[in-house]
Amino acid sequence: MTAVTAADRTETTPATAGVAPLALPSGVKPTPALVLPDRTRALGTYLFMVADAMVLAAIIAAYFAVKDGSSAWPPVDVGVGTYIPFIVTITLTMAAASAQWAVNAMRNNDQRNVGIALLFAAFLGLAAANAEWAAFDKAGFGVGDHAYGTFYFVFFGYHLLHLVAGVVLLLLLGGRSLAGHFTASHHDPLRSGVLYFQYTNAVWYTVALVLFVFSRVHG
Amino acid sequence: MTITDPSPETDVPTNPSGPSGEPGPVQQGSTAGTDHKVIGTLFIAASLAFLVVGGALAVIMRAQVAAPDQAIVGDSTYRQLFTMHGVTMVFLFLLPLWLGLVTAMVPLQIGATRMAFPRVHALSLWLFLGGAAMVAGAPLASDVIGGWTLSTPLPDGPGFTGEGVDLLILGLIVVAVAAITVAINVLATVLQLRAPGLTMARIPLFSWSATVSSAVLLLALPVLVAALVLLFVDRHYGGHVFNGFTGSRGGNPLLWPRMFWFAAYPMLWALLLPALGAVSDIVPVFARRRLFSHQRAVAAIAAIGVLSFAGWGSEVGSLRRARPLFALGVLLVLLPVASLILNWLATAAKAARTDARVKERMRSVPMLHVLGTVTLLAVGLAGQLVAGLDAGGDSHRNYWGIATQHTLFFGAATTGAVAAIYFWAPKLWGRHLSEKIGKLQFAALVGGMHLAFLPMFVLGIQDMGAHTSRYVEDGNLGPANLIASVGGAIVVLGVLLLILNLLVSVVAGRGEAAGADPWGGHTLEWSTTSPPPADNFRHLPEVRSETPLLDLDHPETTP
Repeated sequence: MTAVTAADRTETTPATAGVAPLALPSGVKPTPALVLPDRTRALGTYLFMVADAMVLAAIIAAYFAVKDGSSAWPPVDVGVGTYIPFIVTITLTMAAASAQWAVNAMRNNDQRNVGIALLFAAFLGLAAANAEWAAFDKAGFGVGDHAYGTFYFVFFGYHLLHLVAGVVLLLLLGGRSLAGHFTASHHDPLRSGVLYFQYTNAVWYTVALVLFVFSRVHG
Repeated sequence: MTITDPSPETDVPTNPSGPSGEPGPVQQGSTAGTDHKVIGTLFIAASLAFLVVGGALAVIMRAQVAAPDQAIVGDSTYRQLFTMHGVTMVFLFLLPLWLGLVTAMVPLQIGATRMAFPRVHALSLWLFLGGAAMVAGAPLASDVIGGWTLSTPLPDGPGFTGEGVDLLILGLIVVAVAAITVAINVLATVLQLRAPGLTMARIPLFSWSATVSSAVLLLALPVLVAALVLLFVDRHYGGHVFNGFTGSRGGNPLLWPRMFWFAAYPMLWALLLPALGAVSDIVPVFARRRLFSHQRAVAAIAAIGVLSFAGWGSEVGSLRRARPLFALGVLLVLLPVASLILNWLATAAKAARTDARVKERMRSVPMLHVLGTVTLLAVGLAGQLVAGLDAGGDSHRNYWGIATQHTLFFGAATTGAVAAIYFWAPKLWGRHLSEKIGKLQFAALVGGMHLAFLPMFVLGIQDMGAHTSRYVEDGNLGPANLIASVGGAIVVLGVLLLILNLLVSVVAGRGEAAGADPWGGHTLEWSTTSPPPADNFRHLPEVRSETPLLDLDHPETTP
C-alpha cells in the first residue's frame, strides 16, 4: 500500500498509533458513561412521533386530494354521526388527564397514585377503543363502498392501532411501577410512555377534525 | 507497503464482538447481538449480496437490448426484470448500504460507545432482512411489473395484480420501517452521545451527512409507508384511494405518483448524501490538511438535505402547471453539490502545491474512488441540469432520465460508498483491502459505469423510450446500446472484484493487519484500536476542533 509512508508518519502523525499515546496529560478524558443521557429516550420517542405524524400527514394529504376532486363529500347517502366521535373524544381526554396524573404522582414519589392513574388511563383507553369499534359496526358503509369509507376505516384503524399499543404500554408501565422500577428522580420510561399515549390522543383529535369537521367544509 | 509500526496490541486484531481484553466499564448494549459495528457489517454484507442480484438482472436486460430485434426475453419478462432491478437496487442495495456504513461508523466518529438504542438497531437489521426476503420473493408468487415506482401506468392498472404485488408492497413497508428506525437511532446517537467537546459544528462530515440524511429519511419514508398502506387497502380491501375516476365515490388515480415521488425523490438524495460526506472526510486525510472550508461543507450538506424536497414534482407527469417551480428545485439542489466538489478540489489543489508527495497518496485506492465519484457527480449534475431545464419533460420519459439517475444516484453514491469501504475497512475489520485487486476493481467499476451510462445519454438524445424492450434496426439505436451493455457487464465484474477483495482480505484474513491509524486520520475513530473493542474507546483525546487527531500533532494550527 502506498497510502502512508514512514516519512509521512514521522512528519505529521508521530503519536497516533495505538491507544496509549492519546492519553496525553492534558487530553485525558475517561470513556463517557454508558448510562444513557437523561433525555435520550424522550428524544427517541419524539423522533418516532415525527415519523409517525408524517404517515398521518400523508394520509390526510391524500384525503384532501381525493375530497377536492369529488362532487359530493361525504357521498350524499352517507350520514356522518357525531355521537360516537364525541364520546371517544371525551373518553380520551379523560384518559389523557389520568396519564398525566400518573407522571405528576411519580414526581411526588406517590407510587399508589401512579398505579391507580395508569390503570384508570388504560381502562378509559380501552373504553374509547370499544366505542371506536362500535363506530366501525354502525357506520352503515364499508371500506370498499366509496373513497370516504376507505379513509374512514383507514383513519379509525390507524388511531385504533396506536390506542391499543398505548394501552398495552400503560399497563406495562403500571406493572413496572408496581415492581418498584421507578423513583421520583428516575422514571424516564414512564415519561416517554405517557408522552406516546398523549401523542395517540393528538392523533385522535386530528383524525376527528379531518373526518367529522373538515369533511363538511367545501373549499 | 504501509509502514505503521503497529504497537503490539494493535498488531493482533481483536474480535470486535468478543471480549476486549482489559476490563472496561459496564458492557450494556455492547454484546455481539447489539454491537453497532457487527450489525453495520451485516447490513453492508446484505446490500452487496443484493447488488449482485440487481446487477445480474441488469445484465439480462442489457443483453436483450444490446442489439436490435433480439428475443432473449419477452416484453413481459423484460418489464418484470426492470421492476425487480429498480426495487432491488434502491431498496435492497443503496438503502442497506447506507444503513450499514452509517451505523458502523457514526458512533466511532463521534466518540460514542454505541448507538443510542442498540436493541432497536438489531431489530432494524432483522426487520430489513425479513422485508427484503418478502420483496425478493415477490416475483416467485406472481408477475410483478410496473417499474420501481409501482406505477406503469397506474398502481391499480391491469397487469399489476396478483399476490406477488401484495408481497412486494408489504415487503417495501417493512424495509421502509426498518430504515426509519435506523434514522431515529442515528439522530438520537448524534444528538445525545457525542464525546465531550464535540459540538454539532465539529462532528465529522460523514457523521453530519448521516445526520442530515437521517432527517430527510425520517420525513420522507413515512410518506412512502402511508402511500403503500393506502395502496394495499385499495388492492386488498376494495378501497378507493388511487382507483376509479374522480367522482362522488372514486379516488384520485393521479395521487399515487405524487405520493411516491414526494418520498422517493428526497430519498434518492438522502442515499447519495453519506457518499458525499465520506468523500469530504477522506480528501483532507489524504491531502494531509484540513478541508478547504469545513463550514461551507457543513452548509452545503445541510442545503442538499433541505433542497432535496423541492424537486419531486419534476418526476410527476400530471403536475404540468407547477413544473417550473419543481424545475427550480431540481436545479437549486445542484448548487450545494457543486460547492462540495469545489471544496474537495480546493483542498487537494492546495495540498498539491505545498506537498510533493501528495500525488503518490492520490493514487491510493480510496482516493481513486474519490476521483471516480467526482467524475460521476460531474456527469450526473450535467444530466440533471438538462433534465431540470427540459420544460417538455421528454428527458424524464426517455433514456436521458435513466442515464442521469444511474450516474448520480447509483454511480456516484456507490463509488463514494466503495471509497468509504476502502477507507474504513482497516478500522472496522482490522485488515487493509488488497491494493492490487482494489485498483483493478476501481478500473472495472468506474470505467464500466462511464462506459454503460454515457451512451445512455446518447440514447436519450435519440429519444429511446425508458422501458423499451425491443427496437428495430433502422433507428440507429444499436451502437450506443451495445456499448452500454458491455459497460454494464464490466460494472458487474467490478462488483464481483470488490466482493472478492472483501472475502480474501477480510473474511479470509489475508489482508495486511492495520494499525490504529493507518492513514493518519483526523477524526476520533482513528484514536482507538483496529478493530475497536466492543465498547469502542478506552480513552478519548480532547476535542477542540473538527479534527481532534490533527490537533494532537499540530496544536499550533488548531483554529
